[in-house]
Amino acid sequence: MLNNIGDVGPDVVSKVGATATGDSSMKVVPVVELQGLSKAYGAHLAVDNVTLQIAEGEVFGLLGPNGSGKSTILKMLVGGLTPSAGTLAIKGFDVCTHGPIARALVGYVPEEPTLYPQMQVAEFLRFMGRLKGLTSARLRDALDAVTSLLALAAVQRTAIGKLSHGFRQRVLIAQALLNAPPLLILDEPTNGLDPSQIIELRELIIRLAPRHTILLTSHILTEIEQVATRVGILLAGRLLTDSAGESAALRIALQVIPPVGLVLRDLFAALPGLTTVQELPPTAHGLKFELQLGSTNALQELAQALCRARCVVLELRPLHTGLEARFLALTARATQ
Amino acid sequence: MNGFGALLSKELRALFTAPIAYVVIAVYLLLMGYTFTAWLFVSQTASLVRVLYQAAVLLLLFVPVITMRTFAEERRQGTLALLLSTPASELAIVAAKFFACLAVIVVMLGLTLVYPVVLQVFGQPDWGAVYSGYLGLTLLAAVLVAFGLWISALTTNQLVAAVLTLGLAILLWVLDSLGNLLPDPFDVVVINCSLLTHFTPLSIGVVYLSDVGYFVTLVCLGLFLCVRALARE
Repeated sequence: MLNNIGDVGPDVVSKVGATATGDSSMKVVPVVELQGLSKAYGAHLAVDNVTLQIAEGEVFGLLGPNGSGKSTILKMLVGGLTPSAGTLAIKGFDVCTHGPIARALVGYVPEEPTLYPQMQVAEFLRFMGRLKGLTSARLRDALDAVTSLLALAAVQRTAIGKLSHGFRQRVLIAQALLNAPPLLILDEPTNGLDPSQIIELRELIIRLAPRHTILLTSHILTEIEQVATRVGILLAGRLLTDSAGESAALRIALQVIPPVGLVLRDLFAALPGLTTVQELPPTAHGLKFELQLGSTNALQELAQALCRARCVVLELRPLHTGLEARFLALTARATQ
Repeated sequence: MNGFGALLSKELRALFTAPIAYVVIAVYLLLMGYTFTAWLFVSQTASLVRVLYQAAVLLLLFVPVITMRTFAEERRQGTLALLLSTPASELAIVAAKFFACLAVIVVMLGLTLVYPVVLQVFGQPDWGAVYSGYLGLTLLAAVLVAFGLWISALTTNQLVAAVLTLGLAILLWVLDSLGNLLPDPFDVVVINCSLLTHFTPLSIGVVYLSDVGYFVTLVCLGLFLCVRALARE
């Protein structure tokens, strides 16, 4: 058993194996495991019996309206809140009983980018690196790496209080990455960012995904949809769904005039990315369909196929995405 | 205590680069200088006993100003959640703040050592009483800092933290007068909980292990409560 916090960097964790339970068969444990997790504030249940597993390499999006309990779950994961019931573990290390070891495996980006305003960026990153137990040599390498990855070189000597919201968010992400944690937790990372910063952040998450398991929260469906490999929907503290593969689904409306002799059903059947076809009553202008596509790539394939077949496309526009439709259905059902 | 060094260094830098520490030290020294001079002219004796009492009473007023921002500020800025998410233990976070605040007070008290030096130049002070008096002041300051940190950890408002710490400090200081009103054996218990009861022997040059133990126990209690307050986040 590891007792010294100084020994719990990612290197050491990888040396002790994939499991914290001491199982010699090297059983692969989930990076995050919540079992019957609840958090109550008096009579109000902020998190209600949530059970969830996140495997290595996943980008898990926790979606829900404001006040649904997303941040509460994340705060419990990083040891900032104590659960009222249930257990939560990171790579098999229980957060409540092995807090320092579990926290050494996490890079946490809180919702509000509020930092020490008087500290310079480099000074703050060095401070956080030392808190995470990095040795001088590793800290130097880590600082170089995160400074380059997040383009912070120009502001290294700037006081954090003078930085824009976007740069402060970058500094927070940089500190989270310093010890190359297996799990990266991002709480509403796009809050307050402008559109170009949101796009940059999305690209960064996609770049980080192969090296980290990522758990991120948002109340904006499209954000989650574009980066998450799996999505959980949280409403009033309850995890309503935890389903894979739906985040990328896309529903579109199509209105088209096919050339004489073309059977559109055959054209649709030749497209593997097209999962559902619903024919609507034809209009005076052409044939109408509602299609469900497996991914945005399938939309491109559909457009190309229609062009090749010389169809006149009158309308091709996205409807609610699969995730949006599911979110609306679930929230409507829960409200009823 | 992983991260203690980094935390202590950050706390010391925060305290000594902010004007508040210098303002507190300057005003404290001004009031102490006035007290020392006035007492010297009035008593015409090479004794610091009354001056040390005054120093202790001023500590009751000034320590809350130093401790009020420690956790309340971190909580208000949102940085407390970030600190707690690191592998650093709550004890390391609390201990770093404790020693940093105590360092400011030790510097402040250290600058008053000029008074016994002045007495030595013009007379023959009892250095035993001076040593024990300064030991008493340091122990008293440690207790006030420990409780100040605990109260600061319970609120986001610095002013509330300062007022509550001041209230608690004064209550612990004057508890002996309440004890005198109580019947036996409650009077002894309450009198022995008073800071004044245990500071008085130290200020006149008498060092009882029980008095030192009392102060150390209160420091441990304050720090324990503070760690619990963070753990209950």
